[in-house]
Amino acid sequence: MDTTFTEEQEMLRKSAADYLAKEMPEIKVREIEESESGLDVGFWKGMGELGWMGLVIPEDYDGMGMTFQDLSVILEEMGKNIAPGPFFCTVMEGSYPIMEVGSEEQKREFLPKIACGELVMSMALLEGDGIYEASDMKVKAEAKGEGYVINGTKVFVEQANNADYLICAARTSEGATAEEGITLFIVDAKTAGLSVEVMPTIGMEKLCEVTFRDVAVPKEKLLGKLDDGWSVVKEVVERGAIAKAVESLGAMEAIVPTTVDYLKQRVQYDQPCAQYQALQHILADMFIVMTASRYLVYEAVWMKSEGLACSKEIAMAKSQVNQAYKELSRLMIRMYGGNGTNREFKPGLYYRRAKAADVRYGATGFHRELVAREIGLA
Amino acid sequence: MDFRLSEEQEKRRQQFFDVCRELEQHKPASLHSAMDAFETDSEEGIAYEQFCRKEFAKRGWLRLGWPPEYDGVGRMMDKVFFGEATGYYGIPGVDVLGVGMLAPMLLEEGSEETKKKFLPPIGKGEVLWCELWSEPNAGSDLASLAAAAVKKGDEYVINGQKTWTSFAHRADWGFGLFRTDPQGKKHRNLSFILVDMKTPGVTVKPLYYFDGKHFYNEVFLDDVRVPVENLVGEENKGWQVSQTLAAFERSSVGAVMSLHRQVEDLVKYCNETRVGGKLLAHDSVIRNRLAEAACEIEANRALAYHIADLQDRSEMAPFDASAIKVYTSELMERLAALALDILGTYSQVKTSRWAPQNGAWESNCHTCFIASIAMGTNEIQKNIIAWYGLGMPRPPKPVVTG
Repeated sequence: MDTTFTEEQEMLRKSAADYLAKEMPEIKVREIEESESGLDVGFWKGMGELGWMGLVIPEDYDGMGMTFQDLSVILEEMGKNIAPGPFFCTVMEGSYPIMEVGSEEQKREFLPKIACGELVMSMALLEGDGIYEASDMKVKAEAKGEGYVINGTKVFVEQANNADYLICAARTSEGATAEEGITLFIVDAKTAGLSVEVMPTIGMEKLCEVTFRDVAVPKEKLLGKLDDGWSVVKEVVERGAIAKAVESLGAMEAIVPTTVDYLKQRVQYDQPCAQYQALQHILADMFIVMTASRYLVYEAVWMKSEGLACSKEIAMAKSQVNQAYKELSRLMIRMYGGNGTNREFKPGLYYRRAKAADVRYGATGFHRELVAREIGLA
Repeated sequence: MDFRLSEEQEKRRQQFFDVCRELEQHKPASLHSAMDAFETDSEEGIAYEQFCRKEFAKRGWLRLGWPPEYDGVGRMMDKVFFGEATGYYGIPGVDVLGVGMLAPMLLEEGSEETKKKFLPPIGKGEVLWCELWSEPNAGSDLASLAAAAVKKGDEYVINGQKTWTSFAHRADWGFGLFRTDPQGKKHRNLSFILVDMKTPGVTVKPLYYFDGKHFYNEVFLDDVRVPVENLVGEENKGWQVSQTLAAFERSSVGAVMSLHRQVEDLVKYCNETRVGGKLLAHDSVIRNRLAEAACEIEANRALAYHIADLQDRSEMAPFDASAIKVYTSELMERLAALALDILGTYSQVKTSRWAPQNGAWESNCHTCFIASIAMGTNEIQKNIIAWYGLGMPRPPKPVVTG
């Protein structure tokens, strides 16, 4: 057993931290959040040069051929800086499904371009009820001529406004169960009939409504097997959940020292607020909640990275971190007092992101129900 | 990173679990936890504790991680696995004070003579130890203790009172902190001394727990004469010795497994029990809360393994240890409360024909407080985290007026 990171991973962490400290200070985070596009070209290109988008893409396709656990180190650091942009959706929702079920032709076409930062990708998945269930998949793709035609509306599609391609989950047939009959398509976002509208959300991450009106997709862009797309979606959601948990862990690791520093500087009744025991114990609680999430997350990441079955561990890690991140960001606001609610100060940034991360890839209730079944409740 | 155990480790771990599962078959129904085995009024509890202790001793499991010259068996990680097994099955027989704390401390700090004299009986399971620590006016502020040891010739003469002394009524020996320099500064005036509990002048009186159980005691020491060679470390440096001891106190992997077992038992109960015609397992609130507890326990287990991994490589992280102590113990209190919520009206019944699961949960809602208060209260742990982990300045001492 070894519960520590390798030297190479520690080096990767250091270089990511250095790059983010330089390129993604708080002021930049706010700038990107408030911009119309939500994508900073310079930052995106910089990450491309560092090879982050291609970190887990095999070397045969111009990537670096590293593991999910290596990638998690970058995600954790990005979580600390709450770096906004299409990195997460491009890698987690774009490159992984293509690596896993894409044809050789699709891999050659997309992976090298993703690796160098030429393409922004995302997945069009959620619909009306906003739940990660096959029963909610009603967008239809009908065979027509040499391809398919997609009709319907998807919501909460991250960075669709910047995406070059969207992987769309659409119903191609009515199977015996809701899970059957769903197929994935790689859709060029510039196709006629596809329209995108940014939804105003708490995390300001550019989650979009995407409407498909007779959007034509050539059959070469069918991803994986016909009618068998749900297993791929499940994998994206599961891996996405643990990736989001790592990112959230990173945020918690920033919240604790940032709050301590603030309390050390803030003086009331002639002494730094950090010296009041009432506040010290709340900070200790925050440290405990963060520490108690950390190795559950690391273990689930490791299992996923090793290709071990870990649905239970991921559900546990995501629900645990959902609660922890929300609690820490809530307490951060309280520790800053009035300033915690001032837009100029940091707590609001984390608080809003915590809520957005919470519902992404399954909120706490969704994951706890998975856990309830895994621990044997009838 | 690799959370897998080696094949050899898996084998060892399995061995501990197999033996403890076998021992569980002999467990008297009246024992809800390992603690219960020490109740004086439970003859069968005492007999069972002695039986288990012998079984462990003959396998060398009371000497796990000890060096070869003291007949040690296995490595540090084996201790972790063994703790998991006894925790999961709730098996007594490992003297937490002698085996768990004193022995590892002596191995680091004791003189050759002390080690030679005291380690073998601990390793063979021949003695039980108690900790002469807290006093009526020295709890969290332990270093302000008053019991004094005055050197006279080749003896210390001890006078004073100790309290909250677990299992003193059954212990052969006690290790304790005593004031050896009445003029010395706090933390530099205490000595760590081993006391034979059969020495004239030692009086043990029960201090009953709030459910009526007897594991705590008050210990009165009146002109108790102890040979000077029973001093561990240097005179007046007992506080430093006690700090080494404290580091061994907070490993909680066994407690995590006991929580794991509790959730398993509750799942089983909910799968078998109908209330108002509805299976408890189908109640969405119960499902949510049990899943929550399972997540917290799993998080706790992953952290405990990380700490064990660091301990195994002598890279112990002290603030993580404080964090896990608080987290585990508060989880114990929360899980105890959850169990009672699930049991509904019958949750209040003590061991009897009316009690679900023989009253185990009613009993548990009392014993669940031990871990959060003992070994440095959770509030003291939070001070440690804030001051030494997060670098927040210590608050000034309040000015006492009047």
